[in-house]
Amino acid sequence: MNAIKIKNLDFSYKNNKVLSNINLTIEKNQKWALIGKNGAGKSTLIKIIAGFLKIPNGKLILLDQDISLCSAKIRSKIVAYVPQNLEIIIPYTVFDFVMLARFRSMGIFGIPSCEDINIVNEALELCDITHVKNRLMNSLSGGEIQRAVLAGAVAQQTPILLLDEPTTFLDPYHQRQFFDAIERIKSTRELTMLMITHDINTAMSQCSHVAAIVDGKIFFSGTKEKFKGLCPKILFEIFGIDFDCYKCENKNTYIFGAWN
Amino acid sequence: MKKTNNKIKTLLVLITLSLISLIICPMIGINFISYENAFKNQELAFIFFSIRIPRTLLAFFVGGGLAVSGMIYQAVFRNPLADPYTLGVSSGASLGAALSIIAGVGINAFGLSFVTLGALLGAIASIVLVYLFACLKENNSNTIILAGVVIATICSGCIMFLYYVGNKHDSYRIIRWIMGGVDGANYNLLIFIIIPLAIFLIVTEIFMPFLDLLITGDLIAHSRGVNVKKTRNFFIIITAITIGFLVSACGPIGFVGIISPHACRIIMPGIRHRMLSVYSFLLGGSFLVWADALARTVAPPSEIPVGIITSIIGGPLFLIMLFREKNQIIL
Repeated sequence: MNAIKIKNLDFSYKNNKVLSNINLTIEKNQKWALIGKNGAGKSTLIKIIAGFLKIPNGKLILLDQDISLCSAKIRSKIVAYVPQNLEIIIPYTVFDFVMLARFRSMGIFGIPSCEDINIVNEALELCDITHVKNRLMNSLSGGEIQRAVLAGAVAQQTPILLLDEPTTFLDPYHQRQFFDAIERIKSTRELTMLMITHDINTAMSQCSHVAAIVDGKIFFSGTKEKFKGLCPKILFEIFGIDFDCYKCENKNTYIFGAWN
Repeated sequence: MKKTNNKIKTLLVLITLSLISLIICPMIGINFISYENAFKNQELAFIFFSIRIPRTLLAFFVGGGLAVSGMIYQAVFRNPLADPYTLGVSSGASLGAALSIIAGVGINAFGLSFVTLGALLGAIASIVLVYLFACLKENNSNTIILAGVVIATICSGCIMFLYYVGNKHDSYRIIRWIMGGVDGANYNLLIFIIIPLAIFLIVTEIFMPFLDLLITGDLIAHSRGVNVKKTRNFFIIITAITIGFLVSACGPIGFVGIISPHACRIIMPGIRHRMLSVYSFLLGGSFLVWADALARTVAPPSEIPVGIITSIIGGPLFLIMLFREKNQIIL
């Protein structure tokens, strides 16, 4: 079963065409990295999948449902979104913020059930932020805030998770903590993930597949092994600069760097 | 558990404060009237029950309504500076009132003065303009705020023109109306605001969780299942209509709508909007009741407009709270 299926999708901001003829199929339980230069159309694509932008033509099917026909409520049960960073300072405690993710399962009075409380506590546990759950969001470090946002998406209990450069502002230690949390989530349930990243090493280490966008078109989509096989040439074609590709000793991992 | 206890304690304190305000303030005025005297003396009974009681209740409900309206606009626009008058509804009402004063029609309808009805018409006209902007402009609250500022500026220009060309008496009435006050209170005026205010409070109270999500940002709110544009427009319009009624009854009383929600956020950080609206209502209501009691006693035998008191007393009080607060003010 396909988790995400995009067919012949075009998108323009007024007269500025951002995406053209996008076709992409993501199977259930896969982890995809979406890479490309700034302005290539990655964030636009992810916002379209999240339902934030309406598509003029083409088809977007999430778990066999035409998402353009779904209400915000139904969509929120299918797909969750983690932004690069929060637009504003959230004035709630971590627990209350994560509980907001259960909003659509609560009744009209918004009173959480025992099940909602258990789900939130489990999400906090998975993201390793239980120890700060009674603290205000504005008193947390950047890494904790990003894991709280992830916990919110986890508590939403959607089968699809979209991440828009989630670790851009995090140091390597907190990046590792963030991806460890995702691994823990994946070990508990089926989760299809699409993540925008500018870090090729992150894409290669955390994802099973790669999609690359160049000038609003899908330039590459496939497994990371296939992508690795085309490196570093394909990286030059995507980003327009030369990359070096080093294989680590005794490990089947690569390091990609644009420092030459 | 400790946090829940604190919330309930604070709520009980605010309820007690409101009850004390509502019981004590009707006694305060140029002449002190005790409950005992009010029941004994017929003349005092008239002043007490027909003037001071409706006036105190009007101040309480208007103060509370303005505080909740301010809280909603601060959340909808994610702007701590937003207040009930941000979208120019009060300016529209003021222009309506000014036109009614200049027209000089001395009729009453449904027990309400022509000026009040004119103000309501002015408010409705500005709400229609705001509604058009809210519906035409997709997901851009800053544009709606700017449109409100422009509407307010245009209305202010028109009011100044009417003030300038009007005779001395009319000009004084215009400026007096703009200062705001609850001195024209009667039971008809009370009913005039209580019905829309009650509908507003009940409906918004039900939908407060949407407001909680709205301030987390458009993308997160949308991802959690909120139709951002519809929700925002719903809150903008229902609040604007309520403000229209409140301002038509009392003129644009400043400061209550901006300081009460912030004061409650300082008292109880991290509080969600459903409880915050109750806190703001009780604090805003009590604040205006005391401000009005002060307004009618501070310069006997005359009364000063309550808007002057809210600014002169409320401003420094809020500044003290602001400087004592260690954390930054956030929504």
